[in-house]
Amino acid sequence: MKYFWLSFKAIFIKDIVAELRAKQVLPTMIVLGMLIVWILRIASEASSVSTTVIGPVALWIALLFAGLLAQERSFAIEQQQDCIYALLLAPVDAGTIYLAKLFVNVVMLCIFEIIIIPVVFLSFPLSVQNRWLSLIAVLMLGNIGISSVGTLFSAVVQLTRTRGSLLSIIVLVILAPMMIPATFALLTLFGVIGAQVTGSGTLAFVGSFNAAVGYMTAFDAIFVVACWLLFGFAIKE
Amino acid sequence: MRRILLLLAFVLLLASMWMALTLGQITPVKRNTLYAHVPSSVCALLCFVVVLVGSIGYLYSAKPTWDLIAAASAEVGALFATMLNVTGMIFSRAEWNIWWTPSPRLITSAILWFLYVVYLILRASLPRSQHLRARVCAVFGIIAFLDVPMVFISARFMPDIHRPSFSFDSSWQTAALVLSMAAIALLAAVLIWLRTDLLKNTAKLEKESFC
Amino acid sequence: MSFRIPRGMSKNKQTDDANNSVISVNSLSKAFGARLVLNNIDLEIGRTQSVFICGVNGAGKSTLLRIIAGLLQPDQGSVQVCGYNIRKEPEKAKPQVGVIAHKSMVYPNLTVFENLSFFASLYGVKNGVARIEELLEEIGLFSYRYDKAGILSRGLLQRLAIARALVHNPAVLLADEPFTGLDAEARQHLVTILASFTDNGGTLVMTTHDIANSIQYCDRVMVLDRTRLIFDAMTCDIDTASFAQDYLLYARNIN
Repeated sequence: MKYFWLSFKAIFIKDIVAELRAKQVLPTMIVLGMLIVWILRIASEASSVSTTVIGPVALWIALLFAGLLAQERSFAIEQQQDCIYALLLAPVDAGTIYLAKLFVNVVMLCIFEIIIIPVVFLSFPLSVQNRWLSLIAVLMLGNIGISSVGTLFSAVVQLTRTRGSLLSIIVLVILAPMMIPATFALLTLFGVIGAQVTGSGTLAFVGSFNAAVGYMTAFDAIFVVACWLLFGFAIKE
Repeated sequence: MRRILLLLAFVLLLASMWMALTLGQITPVKRNTLYAHVPSSVCALLCFVVVLVGSIGYLYSAKPTWDLIAAASAEVGALFATMLNVTGMIFSRAEWNIWWTPSPRLITSAILWFLYVVYLILRASLPRSQHLRARVCAVFGIIAFLDVPMVFISARFMPDIHRPSFSFDSSWQTAALVLSMAAIALLAAVLIWLRTDLLKNTAKLEKESFC
Repeated sequence: MSFRIPRGMSKNKQTDDANNSVISVNSLSKAFGARLVLNNIDLEIGRTQSVFICGVNGAGKSTLLRIIAGLLQPDQGSVQVCGYNIRKEPEKAKPQVGVIAHKSMVYPNLTVFENLSFFASLYGVKNGVARIEELLEEIGLFSYRYDKAGILSRGLLQRLAIARALVHNPAVLLADEPFTGLDAEARQHLVTILASFTDNGGTLVMTTHDIANSIQYCDRVMVLDRTRLIFDAMTCDIDTASFAQDYLLYARNIN
């Protein structure tokens, strides 16, 4: 406990500095995000679905895939010179390492969002109508959820043969349930659907914007706690 | 012993079908898939519980048997999740003329299937040595289980194209359903048992057994 | 194999004064699956001893070191460092241990100074900057302190690895074959640093299979063979030259 704050800060700063120096992952994330958004924009012209629906979806997909890139990197840097062992040798709790890396990934996604949101607004005819705070809140919840699972599994997936694609399927399948309320929340914020939806179907299952935010918060809380508790088992021998 | 149980399971299953069709007189006959669909869904969920128990057991005690139980259960569970989805699609095509629709129950059943499949892929991709595979799969098993309750909740509480409950015309049909439930549960248990032993023997033969 | 044991000395472990023991290994066993690597190892290492553990490749030297460092869980037995169990009380035991291994365990994109201040923070070192500067001076890396670790040569990288291991003033330094890949000058420099470490009250445990060159630097030598510790003596009590010869013969005939 004594080492918590100091090591948390140290790992966080070290990761951010290393990434800013390497200038590797952030540019890749941004380019990937932009490409996804543009491809979806082009595709949406061909379909009869209005582009305002595809916009929020494009945002989530870009966020998911950029998040995967960031998470993979967060443990790839520890593999280079076996630095992960240096971390395990130190009297740092495994949970602290997890929280620090989680925080780094969330920050990376935030930086990514700052750049990708203007791109989404450029590409799709969307408007938020002064609901900016809600948008930021929903995106933050999404960031935390996306990073929570990826940070845990990135630590172990480094050791497998298939590496990147394996992390993708793990994270996407576990996050799939969270995407339902997440999509609902964004669709409401961008005015595509009303704040309440009734009837049958997946969106009605969520019901309302508040319920969507509630579900996302619950997912985040459950997954962060579970991954935090299990992280020690994942990296120690 | 296990052969007898397997035989018993098959016999029970056939008996339930016969009961439903003749004594219960369900019509149209296409509703027969129900007797495979409902028990499959229960089994698919229960198998995941066994995966969870095996995962927690392994992380707690580091004994390989727990991990093998989890793996066997994941394989059997994948089988039942496949059956669940396929029989569901057959039934809905027959009954309502659509193969699939994005309703909560169907989506969460699909997610259950994906969770099983990703577990199996993860297991296959990890190197067999150093307890690593067991540890990682156990961690995945526990995290994945957090998604499973939704399958259950969405079935029971949400309005959906999927009928959450149905009434039977005669008590024979209810009996048939119960019988088929018992049959498939028995089948699942025996399969898990068989598979665990097979995995144990494979590990012993290859002399890797958790190196 | 047989090593010439000086008359009057048994092959059994040399126990130091129990109060003084810095590393205490009790009934340690470790198996990787069906393959037993360490079988009931017992040893005590006292302060300021510099111990060389020899053995052929695959004898279990690295495994033993990793268990002492707390990285691996033994199947049986326990390890105490400075009186604290390394698995049960890691917060007290791990700050006493520094490790040098085959890879340098430093971040290539950070400078020497940043790397060391990161590790100093992890261990909660007080007055980190002063400590790092003093350490860099001793090790000879002061002029490289703003260079990125990725561009250092192998010898300098090894020095940085040592600095990383020593930044938190551990009581014990575990070195896993530290001389591999070093030229004569770097090797000499390393020997000086290790000697000053033990002179200042540290305990060194090193694994090596190059016994001929290393034997003159250690106080105590052990041989690990096929899961057991078969030889354990203080170098002042044995004839080092003949030991080195015997060991070479043993190593060649091991199969």
